[in-house]
Amino acid sequence: MANHRVGETGLTDSGPSSNHHHHHHNIPYAVLHGMNVPQSFMHQEGPAFDFGELEEAIVLQGVKIRNDEAKPPLFTAGRPAATLEMFPSWPMRFQQTPRGSSKSGGESTDSGSGVNTISSKTENQVEPESPISKKTSSLDQQQQVDMASDISRTGTSQNQSAAAKTPQEKRRGSTSEKQLDAKTLRRLAQNREAARKSRLRKKAYVQQLESSRIKLTQLEQDLQRARSQGFFLGGCAGTVGNISSGAAIFDMEYSRWLEDDQRHMSELRTGLNAHLSDSDLRIIVDSYISHYDEIFRLKVAAAKADVFHLITGMWTTPAERFFLWMGGFRPSDLIKMLISQLDPLTEQQVMGIYSLQHSSQQAEEALTQGLEQLQQSLIDTIAGGPVIDGMQQMAVALGKLANLEGFVRQADNLRQQTLHQLSRILTVRQAARCFLMIGEYYGRLRALSSLWASRPLESMMSEDHSCQTTTELQMVQPSQNHFSNF
Amino acid sequence: MHYQGDYYWGYYMPTRSIGSDPMERVVKLASEKAVVIFSLSSCCMCHAVKRLFCGMGVNPTVYELDQDPRGKDLETALMRLLGNSQPLPVVFIGGKLIGAMDRVMASHINGTLVPLLKEAGALWL
Repeated sequence: MANHRVGETGLTDSGPSSNHHHHHHNIPYAVLHGMNVPQSFMHQEGPAFDFGELEEAIVLQGVKIRNDEAKPPLFTAGRPAATLEMFPSWPMRFQQTPRGSSKSGGESTDSGSGVNTISSKTENQVEPESPISKKTSSLDQQQQVDMASDISRTGTSQNQSAAAKTPQEKRRGSTSEKQLDAKTLRRLAQNREAARKSRLRKKAYVQQLESSRIKLTQLEQDLQRARSQGFFLGGCAGTVGNISSGAAIFDMEYSRWLEDDQRHMSELRTGLNAHLSDSDLRIIVDSYISHYDEIFRLKVAAAKADVFHLITGMWTTPAERFFLWMGGFRPSDLIKMLISQLDPLTEQQVMGIYSLQHSSQQAEEALTQGLEQLQQSLIDTIAGGPVIDGMQQMAVALGKLANLEGFVRQADNLRQQTLHQLSRILTVRQAARCFLMIGEYYGRLRALSSLWASRPLESMMSEDHSCQTTTELQMVQPSQNHFSNF
Repeated sequence: MHYQGDYYWGYYMPTRSIGSDPMERVVKLASEKAVVIFSLSSCCMCHAVKRLFCGMGVNPTVYELDQDPRGKDLETALMRLLGNSQPLPVVFIGGKLIGAMDRVMASHINGTLVPLLKEAGALWL
């Protein structure tokens, strides 16, 4: 019958959603498209929505909506209708549970069979978000559209039971049926098409949202893992994927060591200020030396696991890396830094310090020359003339690379011996001051790294606003870790 | 630095040492000169220790065990002496065992190396 067909076609886009389609709602088609819907056809019985009557109402276009009996609108005007196209509530429903078409079978005559099938589905799926439809009956077009979009968003909260299905079906049989003209048919077909397209767009959008959500959670997990590995520590290294497990472990241990370093330094500070006895201060100084012994121990394992991580200084901050020598600080540089600040020294102490500086320099020079020979040997191997056996060449090169570990270990050994010798030359108080100076020096160097990274790029700022954002982000990121050292 | 050995049967051999026990050879060779280094010509750390002594103005006696026909035995003996699978380079001063690179460096830093060198007559200031 005409009536039902109208209902079908019109309601193809606006059929009631099934139970499990929670965020699609029953927005009357008329409401969506600003058609007038006769109030009388909105039944007042409970939450159920009478579709049959609405079908008729759609065709009867001249009927005005009456406001007085309308339920108050759920939503205020002014909400963006932008999402409406994306979330047409009606379209999806017709795909839901196909029900028996017994009822509508005999009633549809005019349009194609496809329409009939659809109609049967929509008729039987009278899961009403009917309160909504009732409420929209009195709204003007904008409000209706707004509410439609909001209703799509609010989901099942509006969903009422389909309890009234049976009585509705019965009622449908009693509605009057009108003739459909070609114009109406065409319009309804167009609407159907538009609704279908909206449906597809919506589906695509939702899928995109879902995949983005998954990606986001994955990124968050990676970030969490990287943070726990002390990744941001040196403001260093590439992405998380580029860091070896040995390197990651060492970075983590090193960040913990830095925290301990802070503790030791404050102990030294309070010990000095409190004018503790020499024996008490000696305990603190010795514990600080043990603290350094620990990092050298950790570096032994790290050199075995990932020597390049150590020797390229990826575990340090950029400014420290600038002064890097064979995977760490250069002992003679450290002594040079200390010499002027360790006053007053006895003559014997001065000689001891200068002698230490001298022997340290000689040892550094010897190791550097040894490493240079290793480099040259490696160049010869890899460059190597006519390559008869590439794998053999690589194997030889790998064997030579293995010597790197030994050099980093000897360099760390030199660093450790230098610190021990310092504590032997100096008195307890001098040693306490000395180690405090060392800790503060490297702390300042680390701070310099983060300040450098977050410095405002004046020349760029004047031209390009976006650069400003970048530097601000940079400021947020490293300063947290570097300033924590203080 | 000079490389010890007589030209004998077409290649360098340590003198007066045919057929002796490797450990004995080690001890003998170590006590013959003020500063004795057992080394491998291809080893970079050996090169570093040689550079260290040369940089100090010392003239060590170097035995390249990879160029000695019985070098492998000496190396094994040194392995046992040091309890280390990688015994080279190893340094003797005044016939006394100093050790591998780390011990040499440690003794230089803590100031004991130079007096030993002076004592052995390898260094004059």
